[in-house]
This record gives sequence, structure tokens and C-alpha cells, in this order.
Amino acid sequence: MDTKEKECLPVEKTELSRRGFLRLAVASGVIASVGPALLQGCSSQRDTTEAPSARYALVIDTTKCTGCRACIVACNLRNKLPEGQSYTDVLDETTGQATWFKPVQCQHCANPPCAAVCPTHATYTHESGVVLVNEKLCVGCKYCMTACPYHARIFDETRGIAEKCWLCLDWVLKGDLPACVEACIPGARIFGLTDDPDSEVSKLIASGRAKPLHPEFNTHPAVLSYIIA
Amino acid sequence: MHPVWDWLVAIYLFLGGLGAGAFLVAATLEFTGKRYEVDLSPIRLVGATLPGPLVALGAVLLIFDLGAGLREPWRIFYMFTHFTSVMTWGIWILSLFVLLSLVYGFLEVMDTYPMAWERMKKRLTFLQRLPLRRVKRIVAAVGSVFAVGTAVYTGVLLSAVGPAIPFWSTSVLPFLPIPMMPLLFLVSAISTGIGLTVDLSGNLALQDMQKRLRRLPLIHLALIGLEAVLLGLLLFTAFADGGAAAQAAHDIVFGPRSLVFWILMVLPGLALPFVYHACTVALRRHSRILELVLGIGILVAGLVLRYLVLVSGIPVTL
Repeated sequence: MDTKEKECLPVEKTELSRRGFLRLAVASGVIASVGPALLQGCSSQRDTTEAPSARYALVIDTTKCTGCRACIVACNLRNKLPEGQSYTDVLDETTGQATWFKPVQCQHCANPPCAAVCPTHATYTHESGVVLVNEKLCVGCKYCMTACPYHARIFDETRGIAEKCWLCLDWVLKGDLPACVEACIPGARIFGLTDDPDSEVSKLIASGRAKPLHPEFNTHPAVLSYIIA
Repeated sequence: MHPVWDWLVAIYLFLGGLGAGAFLVAATLEFTGKRYEVDLSPIRLVGATLPGPLVALGAVLLIFDLGAGLREPWRIFYMFTHFTSVMTWGIWILSLFVLLSLVYGFLEVMDTYPMAWERMKKRLTFLQRLPLRRVKRIVAAVGSVFAVGTAVYTGVLLSAVGPAIPFWSTSVLPFLPIPMMPLLFLVSAISTGIGLTVDLSGNLALQDMQKRLRRLPLIHLALIGLEAVLLGLLLFTAFADGGAAAQAAHDIVFGPRSLVFWILMVLPGLALPFVYHACTVALRRHSRILELVLGIGILVAGLVLRYLVLVSGIPVTL
């Protein structure tokens, strides 16, 4: 820019003064701090206090689980997963002197954080209440893997998509049991229909013995519940 | 559980913040009139032309981190559709920011080189009526909103994960439900943006930049101080929260990542620049070479900060 042009420039009335600039900076800072907090409330999950309603219930009785991990093997075989991978996991827990076992997998939440963060709508809730992944839409961004507080998801490197327990829905819809339930030797996995008041799962849930895992996550597990001594 | 997001995502977050910060520097020069009073062309040109390509590069690199999305790239269009997802917001904000900064970069070049602008107007006659300066200011204003959005979004992406990764959703203070990551990443973005445009480019191109921007050391000191306070609060609140968040903070400050944290982040990003600029104010002397080196250090620190936050995302204990 040559000096002649500099001299001819009119004084810009819309220039920002130092005070104006500082005001703008502070306003941006306030918006940047409060904004995300407010928006996060609208974005992540819908706040639902209604009782989770899914067609199926899977109660995990940790008082019966022996940690044999037959469920992991069955799931791995059924879904043809690579060695060492499974949609379900069995955690070792210690209370005082006692060691016990807690099988954990996708809880099929009514308020699923994985579905909320999925950018492509690949994760969705089936009419039965089971949370599924549409393999044709998943881009493999792994956001759902970070967002699931139950660590239920694994990544399929060969297909580049995120996967999880899908409750063996094809078998279940025909009236059969999921692979993990069928494989459970000590009978720690109890599966049934929620709209049948005589089913064992309905009774366990109604009695209050079977409860959702980590309700403070605000995910409202709709299918899985736990009996913990 | 191994970190789900690794170096590629760290680079993407870094470039997003850097581009946003550099754009805000150029926009500041535009609106404070400094652009016309003093010849700071290297700073404003870098701040106007680099953000678009930088952020676009980050996004392209990120595509390589996708799974199925890399093999079938048309799936990426679906990422624009789910508005409860922070990632969808991000892809919109970043796309619009890249567009606006590319336009602004073009306009800034035209404004700096009037002969090029004349030749462009002869070839594309519809441009002849364009009030260049007015359009530039509008683009700078709208672009600034998206720049802040870009920088803040990189933090919200992490904090929106919620209870699954407690360290990422750490609050500003234990009793204040405002997430820290968006703020910290915004300040870091501005810091790296100034590092690129002023410390690096300014010192490379201009002999006496200190004489032209006399307030610069104070701005640097204030910004470094703010970033240090925010980082300190993040770690303090994470420790206070206990659980996986405290574990993450411990890993960063004392644990296996502490060497990288102290030597590649705190030292080049906060400690050395602070000491240098304090000396500049006290002794009224400065060194171009040192500022160049410090500029590089600030950029490295910005990248390392994002990497550390990502790999320290320890999942909640079940």
C-alpha cells in the first residue's frame, strides 16, 4: 500500500476502540464458557424420567456369576469376532475380602449417549427397545466409543465400523435366547419379556431386586438390570 | 482401554484452534484500524490466508482416521445430518469457517495488492461494483463468530462426552457446572494463533515489529497468565473430582506423561514465553531470534496440550 493511499483514507467511524475490543473479548469469553454448558444440556441426551420401556429384559444375577466367561466365548463365536474381542465383558470386583464378577455389555439404554453423539444417525433404537448400529451409515468416527460410559463398544478394524451387543435380535424375535444367556452355566443371566408379568424378569424388576447399573450416568438402561448382593 | 482418539485427532484439534486463532488476529487488526495505520502486512496476510487451508487440512487428515468413512467417502455427507451430535455441529461450523476464511484470504490479498485487484476486476466485471473494504469487514465479522465457534467446538466435542470420560468433562471449578475444555481450548487457540501470525511470521518478515506493536508483550503476558490459570484449574478440579479424572490429572502431572507435559508443553508454551516477555517489559529490549524460537515453542505446546488431553481420556470406572 503506497503512502498516497494512506493519506487519502477517511477516518473509519466503525473502528473498534480499545475499550470496545476488550468488551467484545470479555463477552466472547463469557459466551464461550456458559454457552457450551447450556448447549450441552440440549445436545447430548434427552432428559427422560419415564420408566424405561423395552420389550425384553436381561437380568444379570451377580450372586450367581462364577466368572467362567462362557458368555464371552459364546458371543465371540456367534458374531465371528476376532480372537480376544467380544461384545460382552466380565469385570472382577472386590468387596472387602470377597471377589465377585460383573458381566457388562451394552445396556440398551432408553437415553443412549451413543445415539446422541453419532453424527450420521447410524446408532438408533429399534422398536423393541434394543439399540442397534446401521452398518451402512457408520463412518467409524468412534465418537460413540468415547461416549458410552459402560465401555460397551468395540471397533471392527476390517470393516471400519463401531459395534456392540445387539441382543442377538434375530434369534430373540423368533423366541430364542441371546447367545450369552444360552451359554451361561450358573444361570446368572435371566432373559424374558417385560410385558409378561409372570416372567421371572418382570418379577425381579418389580420386586426391586434387579436395578439398573450406574443410574447416575442418566442413561436409563432399558434392557439390562443387575442383582448385586 | 487404549485411547480411542490419537495423534490424527490431536493434529485436527490443533489445526482447528490454530486457524481460528490466526483468523481472529487478522480480524482484530481489521477492526481496530491497525491494518491501515501501520504496515503489518505479514501478520494480517498470514492471519487471513492460512486459516482456511490449515483447518481444511486438519479436516482432510481426520478423514484418514475414519473407518468405513474412508473406504466409502460419500458416507461423510451423512455426518451433516444429526443435530444432537456435537460432531455434526462441528462439521457445519468448520465447513462454514473454512469457506469464510478462504473468501477473506482472497479479499485481503486483493486489498493488499491493488494492482492485482484491478486486474481481477477487469477479468470479472461483476466485481467492479464491490465495496471491497465493506465486504471485508462483514466477512471478518461473520468469520470471527465462526472462528470462536471453531475453537470452542474443539473443546465441547470432548466435554459433551459427559460421564463416560470424566477428565474431559471436568468443570472450571468443582462446584461450577461450566466445562473447562471449551474455554481452555479457546484460549490456547488464540495463543497459538498469535504465535503463528505475530511471533513467527511477524518476526520473520518485519525488522522492527516491537516498535509497531508496543502493547504486544503485555498482551502475551495476559494471555499466557490466563492459559496457565485455566490449565491449573483444570488439573486442580480433576484432582478434586477423584476417580478417573484424578487419575488422568495424576498421569499428566506426575505419571508417565509428565515429562512430555512439563518439557514439551509447560516449558515452551507457558514458562519460557512468560519469562521472556516479562524481561522484555522490564529491560525494554527484545530479540527477534528468541521470539521466533518462542513462536515455534508455542505451536508445539498447543499441539502437545491437545494430544495429552486426548490420551489422558481415561474412561469412568464401572
